[in-house]
Amino acid sequence: MSKRVLCKFYSHGACLKGENCEFSHDWKDPANNVCTFYQKGVCSYGSRCRYEHVKVSRSQPCATSSSAVTLQYSGSFPATNSSRNAASGGTPVADTNRELLASSRSFFPANNPAWNEISVLPQSLDDIYTRESGTANPAELVMCSFAAAGNCPRGEKCPHIHGDLCPTCGKHCLHPSRLEEREEHAKMCQKRKNHLEALKRSQEIECCVCLERVLSKPTAAERKFGLLSECDHPFCVSCIRNWRSSSPISGMDVNSALRACPICRKLSYFVIPSVIWYATKEEKQEIVDSYKIKLRSIDCKHFDFGEGSCPFGTSCFYKHAYRDGRLEEVDLRHLGAEDGVTVIAKDIRLSDFLNSLRLSTYVLYIKYYGLITPAIAASALHTSSVGDYLFTAQLQYQVAYLVGYVMERIMCLGRKTNFIKYAAAECDFFIRFK
Amino acid sequence: MRIYRRPNHFLQNVQVVAVGSSYLVQSAAYKMQASRARLFKEYKEVQREKSADPDIQLVCDDSNIFKWTALIKGPSETPYEAGVFQLAFSVPEQYPLQPPQVRFLTKIFHPNVHFKTGEICLDILKNAWSPAWTLQSVCRAIIALMAHPEPDSPLNCDSGNLLRSGDIRGFQSMARMYTNLAAMPKKG
Repeated sequence: MSKRVLCKFYSHGACLKGENCEFSHDWKDPANNVCTFYQKGVCSYGSRCRYEHVKVSRSQPCATSSSAVTLQYSGSFPATNSSRNAASGGTPVADTNRELLASSRSFFPANNPAWNEISVLPQSLDDIYTRESGTANPAELVMCSFAAAGNCPRGEKCPHIHGDLCPTCGKHCLHPSRLEEREEHAKMCQKRKNHLEALKRSQEIECCVCLERVLSKPTAAERKFGLLSECDHPFCVSCIRNWRSSSPISGMDVNSALRACPICRKLSYFVIPSVIWYATKEEKQEIVDSYKIKLRSIDCKHFDFGEGSCPFGTSCFYKHAYRDGRLEEVDLRHLGAEDGVTVIAKDIRLSDFLNSLRLSTYVLYIKYYGLITPAIAASALHTSSVGDYLFTAQLQYQVAYLVGYVMERIMCLGRKTNFIKYAAAECDFFIRFK
Repeated sequence: MRIYRRPNHFLQNVQVVAVGSSYLVQSAAYKMQASRARLFKEYKEVQREKSADPDIQLVCDDSNIFKWTALIKGPSETPYEAGVFQLAFSVPEQYPLQPPQVRFLTKIFHPNVHFKTGEICLDILKNAWSPAWTLQSVCRAIIALMAHPEPDSPLNCDSGNLLRSGDIRGFQSMARMYTNLAAMPKKG
């Protein structure tokens, strides 16, 4: 028996055929995604169809299509058939052929001569019931689908077995003797129940910014919580993101006001979107982890496969990979300062220093003395500013020298000449920019 | 915007423009909507808990939800005791991302309130604003400010200087005088 295509009933939670199913009950197997309308020639969805538009050749059985499976049946039947038909006696052909017809009708036009030969259909439904009730192995008994859905009209007289009650979903859908399936169902059921309960708990929770219930917002995109990494106050993801990205009012400190929780003012560095609100620390950690894993699989748009540069560097949540799939490897440059503090050097630009230094008075010195002395440069380190002083061409080099000296002092590196060269180039840019 | 049935590329361009402009309109309208929805929530909250805080009476303007007035009672054991002060709220469209502008309509002698304009110097109305504050809680913060003046960042220098020089009695008598003059509810 071929077990290559994933059973769609199994993938939805429960397949009543259990181990006797023609389709695979293994999650690793691919699902059948071939569009049946395309096989017939016309699919009205065209390129928007969610099924695959591939031609399945009938002479060469394709591994992923169930049409190949049915073809195999028609060729080597009944040698490949299951033991159930052998055990049930009577007309096994009719039973399987009915199934075959049902599954193959969608794949092949009805006037296909290969299928016209098979016209032996069961007389009535009772016929099938009586045949199947004689099966020896209890695991192969077919479960009653009415009972599984909630209520069987036949009650005690039903020829199919009624499954055991599942304690979580309250349906009679546990097969008494298929243990694997029972476990699988219990696991899925528990997971679904937990999610539903969490969702129910989250219904009442209000966002502290818009004062509305998060899960009662008008659009689906808004019905999400934004969890803060460091505290447990609830917000809508849109509200908290709007607040964090709003432009700071003058005098407002970004870290203590905008990036902090609006209620407890605890600084959080990122917001995690989530459909449900958590009850315990572990649940929160689970949400955070799954969010990070999801982002890890998305390419960073700033990094742009190595062509751009990401401002978040190694702390970025997104994937930093080159076009060939290689991940970015970063060696951080650690600079030890004189006072024992270690800083991580990123792209250092001269303008960073120029903004923090005040040089204007020293530029005047240079103008008067015509030359820069180490004493001036050293004091320039402490209090000086580049004001709106108009730079003249002959001053440029001297300012560059000064700045080079300053930078050398700051960086505690001994390569004077290089820095002066860089400084001159950047100064040139800076002055033109002004 | 009208879309004419003309050559195909032209049609596409028009559609793009239409989509773009409607998006902008939508986002602007959305922000407006957000502040309105939030103010409406606060309005309902105020209506429901009218008796919860007897010191604060918050009223929304009949025609404009962005204009509010509040009547607050001066805290007891301060020179403002027994006075009723009127506050004017002007709520920006970006509320609650931006703080409401609040000023005293009633004259008050307080180091952190401008004597002429009624402007209030309070950190939560400026750089320490957070969207978790509501109009009601802002009123409560102002009452707290009345009870605990901060003379080191004065808007009313005279009152600040009185407090800083330690002339508590002078400050209190001045404040009480202005409370009696301007903030006493009319009898009868």
